[in-house]
Amino acid sequence: MFFGSDNLFLRVFLVPFEWNCEEIKLIDMANGLIKNYLYKGIIILGTTCMVLSSCSTEIDINAPNQNVPIVYCILNDADSVQYVRLQKTYLVDQAAISTPPEADSLYFPGEIQISLERWENGRPVQTVQFEPTYDVPKDSGFFPVEKHMVYKAHVKILPMKTYYLYVYIKDKEEVLFAETTTLGHMTVTDPLDLKQRKIALNIGENYICRWQPVENAGIYQIGIRLNYFETVDGVTVAKSLDMPQSFTSPVTNIDYLTRVISGSRFIHIISEQLKPIPGVVREVQNLDFYFITGGKEIKYYIESTAPSEGALIEKPVYSNFNNGLGLFSSSARADIKGLYLANTTLDSIAYSQLTNNLGFLDHNGDRDSSNICSNQ
Amino acid sequence: MIRTRIFRSFVFLMIGFSLVACDKTPPNGNNNNNSKAPVTGTLEVEFRIPGSFLPPNRVLRADLSVAVDAEHLYKGHFFYVANVYNNKLMYQITLKPGNYYYQAGIVCIAGGDSCSAAGFPGGQFGVKWAIGTAQINANEITHVVPQFTQ
Repeated sequence: MFFGSDNLFLRVFLVPFEWNCEEIKLIDMANGLIKNYLYKGIIILGTTCMVLSSCSTEIDINAPNQNVPIVYCILNDADSVQYVRLQKTYLVDQAAISTPPEADSLYFPGEIQISLERWENGRPVQTVQFEPTYDVPKDSGFFPVEKHMVYKAHVKILPMKTYYLYVYIKDKEEVLFAETTTLGHMTVTDPLDLKQRKIALNIGENYICRWQPVENAGIYQIGIRLNYFETVDGVTVAKSLDMPQSFTSPVTNIDYLTRVISGSRFIHIISEQLKPIPGVVREVQNLDFYFITGGKEIKYYIESTAPSEGALIEKPVYSNFNNGLGLFSSSARADIKGLYLANTTLDSIAYSQLTNNLGFLDHNGDRDSSNICSNQ
Repeated sequence: MIRTRIFRSFVFLMIGFSLVACDKTPPNGNNNNNSKAPVTGTLEVEFRIPGSFLPPNRVLRADLSVAVDAEHLYKGHFFYVANVYNNKLMYQITLKPGNYYYQAGIVCIAGGDSCSAAGFPGGQFGVKWAIGTAQINANEITHVVPQFTQ
């Protein structure tokens, strides 16, 4: 080998022919030292290179971003304005919250055309174009843009009709499209919009909501909103407390769907969500009921994004768009607002063990529990 | 001999203890000795909507409340208010034995002057009231039917 023990190569070039034996010995010793250092150096250098190269963690695991379009559109038959949200996938090397992407990473540049078509008897009978708008304020949460851009169109959605949504993106030379059938009308049986009928929600007293099944519905959700006044240091502010209930799945061959709202849970949520404030005076105003139903696409989407309960850890996110990702469906809702609570419920909120420190007034409008009747 | 007897007695005593400790007989669930369950009766209200020339779905149940006496009833100090529904006829309320006052209300939602013609004060959204008393006895069901004026 090149660095063998009898290295002729070094000897030939380092030792002149006219040198004597002593000089040659000195040169041999120096030659040995040099070879020793060279061996050690090469071993150390090689080992270091191997260690450093093997400990490298800079592996590029991210595939190149493909700017996949993401479209969300839930047609609302209770509104005359419909909205479409169009964005694209983006890729950042670090956590997006600490290093939010630029606004250009969220929106497609260039021309965007979005249109909604209503089809009847196999042909389109109505076409509406969407225009960009910044009317919708940003919700709380992660929105790495200054303004929240969506697309809106003034169109009234008809029940039980087939709609197509087309999205043309010139930058990608692609057309996304999706289809949905709108829901039927939602009819609520209980509660009725009847101010004479008081709502009792106490510990041990539940309320049963009833509504008729909606055609094409995939999922239902009921929410109640407690409206109240809060007075602190002489300043009165109208506030509300939302209490969404869990989802209800549709059942076939049934006249009515029901959902029991627990009175105990109602009191517990008030105690959990509201904080005691020294000197605060709260007065219950009324109670609102919200009945919301969504199409089957929404049901599939919610199921696909819900936490896994079985062995299947990662579920594919549902999408009903062609050439992109997203959700196109419809919803229907019925709001029953301004129902009054029963006197017993007002007294329970005012004096129950869970909520008596929240400063709520009883049905007499005071905090004197001596005039409250009880059968206990 | 004495040691043997003492030893046998000890063994029998321990066996007796072990048998008592391993007794799988369930305890008395009634727990009558410590805290007695409150004695109650049941007020059963058959909440019928009186017939009239109005369509059935234009007169609805509006209220069913119970008070301890007439004064509390008059002042609206109820200790129990039931959630009333269109499709529910019978309402059962668990109460301690005693005499109670109840009120039931029906509301007219028909348009025009139909409600006034049917005797509902104020016309549409007017309410008719029926007030009565009920004697509740322990472990008994007291059945009442509110009577509304025509």
